[in-house]
Amino acid sequence: MEKLLKELQHADLHGQTRRHFLQSAGFGLGALGLGSLLGSCSNSNAETGVAAEAMGAKIPQFAPKAKRVIYIHMAGAPSQLELFDYKPELEKYHGKDCPAEFLEGKKFAFIQGVPKMLGPQGKFNQYGQSGAWMSDYIPYLQTVADEITFIKSMHTDQFNHAPAQLLLHTGSARLGRPSLGAWSVYGLGSENQNLPGFIVLASGGRQPDAGKSVYGSGFLPSVYQGVQCRTGGDPVLYVTDPNGMNRNMRKQTIEAINEINKQTYDDVKDPEILTRISQYEMAFRMQMSVPEVMDVSREPQFILDMYGVKPGEGTFAMNCLLARKLVENDVRFVQLFDWGWDGHGTTAGDNVEGGLRNKCRLSDKPVAALIQDLKMRGLLDETLIIWGAEFGRTPMQENRNGVVMPYMGRDHHLEAFTMWMAGGGVKKGYTHGETDELGYYGVKDRVHVHDLQATILHLMGFDHEKFTYPFQGRNFRLTDTEGKVVKNIIA
Amino acid sequence: MKKWYFIGLGVTVVLLSSFSWSGFFDHQVDYNEEVKPVLNKNCMGCHGGVKQAGEVSFLFEHEMLEPGKSGKIPVLRGDADASEMIRRILSDDPDERMPKGGAHLKEEDIKILKKWINQGAKWETHWAYKRIEKPEVPSNKNLWNLFGLINTGNVNWPKNEVDEFVLQKLKQEKLSPSPQADKATLIRRLSLDLTGLPPTEQEVADFEKDTSPNAYEKVVDRLLKSPSYGERWTSMWMDLARYADTKGYESDGGRNIWRYRDYVVKSFNADKPFDQFTIEQLAGDLMPEKKTGMPSDENMIATAFHRNTMINNEGGTDDEEFRVAAQIDRVNTTWEVWQGTTFACIQCHSHPYDPIPHEDYYKYMAFFNNSRDEDVWDEWPKLRFYKGEDSARVEKVKSWINKYNPKETQKFTQFMRVMEPKINAHSIVKGDESTVLLISYYGVKDKGNAKIPNVDLTGAGSLVMNISTKAENAVMTFHLDKIDGPVISKLNVPTRDTVLVTPIPKISGKHDIFLKLKSPKNPTEWVRITWLAFQEALPGAGEPEYPEILKDYSTILTKSTESMPVVWEGTGDFARKTNVFIRGNWSVKGAEVKPDVPKLLAPMPKEYPKNRIGLAKWIVSRENALTSRVIVNRFWEQLFGRGIVETVEDFGSQGAEPSHPELLDWLAVNFMEEDHWSVKKLLKTMVMSATYQQSSKSDKGRQEQDPYNRFISRGPRVRLSAEQVRDQAMAASGLLSSKMYGPSVMPPQPEGIWSSPYSGESWKVSEGEDKHRRAVYTYWKRTAPYPSMTTFDAPSREFCQSRRILTNTPLQALVTLNDPVYLEAAEKLATTMQKRGKTPEEQLREGYRLLTFQPINDKSLKVLVKIYGDALKSYRAKPSDVDSILVYGKERKSPELAALTISANVMLNLDNVVTKE
Repeated sequence: MEKLLKELQHADLHGQTRRHFLQSAGFGLGALGLGSLLGSCSNSNAETGVAAEAMGAKIPQFAPKAKRVIYIHMAGAPSQLELFDYKPELEKYHGKDCPAEFLEGKKFAFIQGVPKMLGPQGKFNQYGQSGAWMSDYIPYLQTVADEITFIKSMHTDQFNHAPAQLLLHTGSARLGRPSLGAWSVYGLGSENQNLPGFIVLASGGRQPDAGKSVYGSGFLPSVYQGVQCRTGGDPVLYVTDPNGMNRNMRKQTIEAINEINKQTYDDVKDPEILTRISQYEMAFRMQMSVPEVMDVSREPQFILDMYGVKPGEGTFAMNCLLARKLVENDVRFVQLFDWGWDGHGTTAGDNVEGGLRNKCRLSDKPVAALIQDLKMRGLLDETLIIWGAEFGRTPMQENRNGVVMPYMGRDHHLEAFTMWMAGGGVKKGYTHGETDELGYYGVKDRVHVHDLQATILHLMGFDHEKFTYPFQGRNFRLTDTEGKVVKNIIA
Repeated sequence: MKKWYFIGLGVTVVLLSSFSWSGFFDHQVDYNEEVKPVLNKNCMGCHGGVKQAGEVSFLFEHEMLEPGKSGKIPVLRGDADASEMIRRILSDDPDERMPKGGAHLKEEDIKILKKWINQGAKWETHWAYKRIEKPEVPSNKNLWNLFGLINTGNVNWPKNEVDEFVLQKLKQEKLSPSPQADKATLIRRLSLDLTGLPPTEQEVADFEKDTSPNAYEKVVDRLLKSPSYGERWTSMWMDLARYADTKGYESDGGRNIWRYRDYVVKSFNADKPFDQFTIEQLAGDLMPEKKTGMPSDENMIATAFHRNTMINNEGGTDDEEFRVAAQIDRVNTTWEVWQGTTFACIQCHSHPYDPIPHEDYYKYMAFFNNSRDEDVWDEWPKLRFYKGEDSARVEKVKSWINKYNPKETQKFTQFMRVMEPKINAHSIVKGDESTVLLISYYGVKDKGNAKIPNVDLTGAGSLVMNISTKAENAVMTFHLDKIDGPVISKLNVPTRDTVLVTPIPKISGKHDIFLKLKSPKNPTEWVRITWLAFQEALPGAGEPEYPEILKDYSTILTKSTESMPVVWEGTGDFARKTNVFIRGNWSVKGAEVKPDVPKLLAPMPKEYPKNRIGLAKWIVSRENALTSRVIVNRFWEQLFGRGIVETVEDFGSQGAEPSHPELLDWLAVNFMEEDHWSVKKLLKTMVMSATYQQSSKSDKGRQEQDPYNRFISRGPRVRLSAEQVRDQAMAASGLLSSKMYGPSVMPPQPEGIWSSPYSGESWKVSEGEDKHRRAVYTYWKRTAPYPSMTTFDAPSREFCQSRRILTNTPLQALVTLNDPVYLEAAEKLATTMQKRGKTPEEQLREGYRLLTFQPINDKSLKVLVKIYGDALKSYRAKPSDVDSILVYGKERKSPELAALTISANVMLNLDNVVTKE
């Protein structure tokens, strides 16, 4: 940790003196390989005040416990009541009318009138030394129970997907704020000179509901936004050379560009040109390293089996394996989105029985493998894995338009849901918070999404109240005006 | 400002007369320059607009003089030692010492505070909030250089007033101006700055040939007249107006609002005075023409400035919450664009650093709060455009009303044009067998009912209603006051989406109206109401043609026409009360407020109406201390790469200090008083200056003394904007279409950028010349903007953004290296190069010249010749690659053309090509 702090202090100084440094640095291609993402962001206008402050890396307020983050977002929101939050009492109420107190003054996305209660569909048991409750939907995760901290008392303010996703990832339900990943890279910078510092991988056939804004940079400079590595087409936009241009030719063209640019620099002495030269070098390296890191064909068979990956498939399992490869290559923040968890009960795919089981079947093994794999490589201690969704599901069965649904489904629920974390400075085998006996409200140690954000920033070394960026006359922070660090889950 | 050096006899006399002897012996503390920064840094966090710890604040003058909770007075004028502030700063007791828990104040800061209090703690308004006075233009001539006869100290350098200010500063900083840039560089800089496009070869040649003394001015005048001028400045305005072609939020569906963009292009091209431009956008709907009583289309289209706010139509969302969010955005945007003041913070509490109280935010919001838009899916109010027979119908109805009751013509015309005022479905109160559907429609089934509360029926004679259903033979009845009250209207609901106009009896006063539905044939089918209106009956009842006119009226309202969102003021029952939101929470309302402008600035003159017109006039009035400064600074920033106030978005005490305060004020006053808000004249003053015409070359000395060119000792050297990078490649290669205006276009972009949950909208690459339009016409989807634009720092336009922070990233390199848009440009450029020269050297020279208008030096040519040679060898060795790389043009494919394309790809990526030099 000491080392990381030092690195960051160094990076901060480097940011401040970059121009000077570049000016005195020797030339020759390769000598200018300074373009970490930190240094790559430049502003020819910056000098003092707002702009310049944005550019240097911030020195963390504490020694960070999590050096890297893998954030796994199950978009649509799986049911906590089928997976983690075991409610035997709810079983007893199955099929009975929902108590009025759960409905008065409440708003739901689809539930109307008085719905029936819906008992848990999974078979629950306790696992590991810690005795964590998990259902038979997730047999693989059961095996790593003792690595995990569960937060059973999560809650949020939004009951629609897009605003809830935005609130979770950007601290505000409205568009336009920087995402957690952008804040992380803004704060800690990037350590890999050949890859973006914040990479996004999506699976499940759709992008997150709120679009690119959930991994956008908001009002932070655009350099901090998440770069989506795509499973079809170019993994990063325009990273592939055009047909009819071979690698050697691209190398020669970049050398030619940089050589002429250096001549321009000699003539006009604009330090921005030196930055451009190093950025073209990095672009060239990215052209190599992005496809390389996205290629799993050289992974041993047992690893592929462990994750359940078949090369060439753009699955969630593949993205878990890629996430490991990315953090192994010092990418700061990896964001996974998996679409298709919205179990309303309207179709055979979208319910908490078959549909949810199926999504678990596709994701349980790779998630457990990711934890084991990182542990095996000694990376888990410094890598924080976060798993969860934008909200939870109701203990009531959905009755859209007042009609009984063809499948068992639950509506969006903002009062209680479960998230878990592993590695990167959180307790092993620990459960935080409790919900009431029907799983409707958190009754002990409630954790708001702003508290979660404060805690994640804390684990990365930042005091969420002090980690700010000035915009429209206000110092904005990820947690807006809220948020308390959940100290109990920190190891 | 106390700058005095002994220069010459004549000057000394002037100096002496304005000399302050007391100032000489005892330096007067300057509140703004010396005290306020210390307070902001050390005190205001706890004793400012957000928190008033111990009931002490230094935000307003009266506050610092009032006793705090302890009963002690923070600042006792004239007596620092008796002032609690100083006592607490100096205290040894850690519980008492200020700043609490923070670092001790610096000795010199304490000294300043004490001196300031002892001198009477003079309070001063922040510079930007003081009326703009025209400063004297400094003269850089003096006895030593014989009033300009000898050019020492660059006395002959200034070309206009701008330069006198700049030169004075340069001298103070011991810098000197750079020589004038060469002609080719100048015309490229000018063309990119004024039109966003590079010059043509011919234009460069003409300028180089022209040796007349006003050759440069001729170019300036030509460019200011070019239609491309309007497009270039519209690109800037679009970020401020947060213009997009979609509604935002999750579904982010399409929005038809491009006519507003065209209005901006036309306004810039016509050099519409900026004050008028402002008033039209903020209040065009309140500017009726005498003849019709309606505002002109142009003025109504202008109001779409504030309809660029987002709309949220996701299930379960509260329309009122997002209506308010749009109002808040309007307040913040108006303040940011015209006042360069960040107002958003005042939404929740008083400004943390500048003396603006919390209520002032809501008083200001009250100006906007009557707009009829209510976050409905259909985006009403919209301006409808009628064509052909519909247009004839409108005229027919209008002349009918003119004939039978001309007083009503305006009201009916208004309804046919903007369909306001009307009651949106979300205002209907739920009854049996009925509910809000998809948050935008009110649905009723058989035996269902609902209530329309509190309708003013005075003068009403008909019910106009947008209704649709699949149910056959459904009958809807309307009852007065009670669910079983007297029937005032009964209608057979047709099985299509239609606007029905039915008569109602004359009733006066406000009433609840109950609607009931009988639909026994299809009892489970919804009957959907989108909106309804109780309005005067069309005049001329009883005339034989009356039924036909009624039918025309209903047909007009039913027709789906082209339309666009506009602002339309609600009056009477449709006006809204505005309350303070406690801590910014829209659902916790405090005291009611009336529209007014913040006390921080000059008050609104009494004769101005307290509505948006009055507000807009106040914004562009001579007395407004901010507008002209802020606007002049924006244009300056666009030309010079940094504003005179670097924080173009914040002129408050937290913003950057101006580098040339007198120049800023001179430009601001000149813009208002001499140029009468002509942007073209303003820009001309700036570009005619010697300051602007300097070479942008730097050197070690300048780099060390003024690394960021704050004092402008050299010309601007700035990377092109996202739009310019693209437009230049298109223009230089000859691909660019000069077509102006119209719906936004979709140039090629990679697959999979758009994903629109819940809508079938997709990116369909435009055909023909629309593929190669200027970037300002590119379709802008907020949740997935055109990728190469955002890579080059364009914002997503969810909110107003004043400044694009320029970045320099590898992703940008990948765009200009590999994006098919740039490969097509390279191929096209290569084709031209091939025709222009016989040898590769000649061809490469030509390519370089076409992009930079400079002769290429031997060293660079050598590099290009080498890459050309390497590529040629490679393509000769593998001819199939020739077919793969040359996929755009129709020219004969050859290894030579392929190699030239590679060379053009190199050239399009050169620093001096993507940079304005």
